Amino acid sequence: MAETHTSSATPESFEVRILRQDGPGQASYWERHRVQYEPQMNVISVLQKIAAQATTADGRSVSPVVWDCNCLEEICGACTMVINGRVRQACSALVDNLLRYENPTEIRLEPMSKFPVIRDLMVDRSRLFRALEKVRAWVPVDGYYDLGPGPRISPKVQEQAYPLSKCMSCGCCLEACPQYTKVELTQEPGESDEAFEARKKAAYDQAFIGAHAISQAMLFNMHPTGKHEAAERLDQLTAPGGIQICGNAQNCVAVCPKEIPLTTSIGRAGRAATLHVLRKWFDG
Amino acid sequence: MAEPTPQPTFLQRHEFLLRRLHSLSGLIPVGAYMCVHLFVNASLLNSPASYQDAVYQIHSLGKLLPVVEWGFIFLPILFHAIFGVVIMFGGLPNTANYRYAANYRYMLQRATGVIAFLFIFYHVFHMHGWFHSEWWLENVARPLGGARFAPYNAGSSLAEAYGGFIPVIYAVGVAACVYHLANGIWTMGITWGVWTTPAGQRRATVVCGVFGVLLLAVAAASWMGPMRTNAKKAREIEDKMYRAKVAAGELDPAEASHKRAGHERVGKGDGERASTK
Repeated sequence: MAETHTSSATPESFEVRILRQDGPGQASYWERHRVQYEPQMNVISVLQKIAAQATTADGRSVSPVVWDCNCLEEICGACTMVINGRVRQACSALVDNLLRYENPTEIRLEPMSKFPVIRDLMVDRSRLFRALEKVRAWVPVDGYYDLGPGPRISPKVQEQAYPLSKCMSCGCCLEACPQYTKVELTQEPGESDEAFEARKKAAYDQAFIGAHAISQAMLFNMHPTGKHEAAERLDQLTAPGGIQICGNAQNCVAVCPKEIPLTTSIGRAGRAATLHVLRKWFDG
Repeated sequence: MAEPTPQPTFLQRHEFLLRRLHSLSGLIPVGAYMCVHLFVNASLLNSPASYQDAVYQIHSLGKLLPVVEWGFIFLPILFHAIFGVVIMFGGLPNTANYRYAANYRYMLQRATGVIAFLFIFYHVFHMHGWFHSEWWLENVARPLGGARFAPYNAGSSLAEAYGGFIPVIYAVGVAACVYHLANGIWTMGITWGVWTTPAGQRRATVVCGVFGVLLLAVAAASWMGPMRTNAKKAREIEDKMYRAKVAAGELDPAEASHKRAGHERVGKGDGERASTK
């Protein structure tokens, strides 16, 4: 089937348009590359060919395009980028499908628009990880003595928790979210790295935490040991930049490559936040 | 060079509370008020007398009416509208790349919010002139086509104010308001955590959709009322009801005159009479 498809519909070569940027805060520009077609390519192998060629479609010699990747099997999230206008992983974006279903002549690659660009298709996703830190997306088990075996988790809770645990922190939900807007700071001249980090952290903490962090907060609030910090997590979900920013466009759940029920987590977090604030006001 | 971290603003410190108040105010009192308003106006389709009766009911609050209007209608609408614009500027619609139904509804919620904001400002000017100062009404509001509603000649003054392209403005404005309320109840259910799962949200979509269609039917009835009303005949009925109220001692003509249509003539006459007493 692959042969009949390749012989009839696919071109000899196709064009790749890439939105490049030479460094943080610099102007971005489009560049065209031409890549020979081969069966069963993914966008990563396209980028590898482009790096090997280091020549644009009109024959200009350029520095190789930079991108980020790691696992190459859609479980790490590092190669997330905007492909043909839609956010997804480069490793699982198959060229045959892109040419057949989206655009037969061209593939368009852009870095994610919600994170500061480091170079070309590589972005700084530290705000995403800062949000996980903010909501304490872990089970607190560190201590000086043996805590014994963990409590049992009922199959019902396991079934609810497992889909949420599949999150790979790729950032698709944030890129597609109309309420998640870019925060990009630049280091002032003379500002130490520590001071810049602190300033970035403060700015990130004021902005929307995003669907991934809301969902992880719900995951660890469901866990019998994680529950011990449920109130602290809900404090963060109702702090500036918390769940209240959500505008219910529900793009997050539509683009999530792991099909995590993010909007269910958002609804549950909304309910928990309502009760948490009432408890704080009237039981405190 | 270490800069102090910027202090959060008032909006940021109380973000959760303000957003939840914004969500709540859309339903209570603003949305609830709109439903009452549409039902009252739909009564004009029954008869000018039904509508006039409902308006007398509302005005029977007397001196309390402005308190109710400001506390439960104007201030909540102003808060909901102004804070809504603040919220809107915090988002970046992206329906061009992500063509999902819920994403279109998100964008429409903002678009209808803006239409509703402009429409309600226009509507309050068109019917009530914004301010009740006599100088303002005579020299600004009425010459610009505003302040057309006369509570004690309710149906006839509406029919007279409903000329030209004005019904088009009302059709667009009211439809936007109805969508904004129906979809707003749906998003509110998620915000407060009433419906959480996809199946629950689908059922809520049906309920909110049916509510929206029914309310749109009421809105259509209230929209048709003034067009089906003969202003001349309605005025005769209204004036008869007015005289009966005055005769029964329920209304004081001196205080009521400015609520009647063509009040310049009547108002001045009544004013003289009142001052000679």
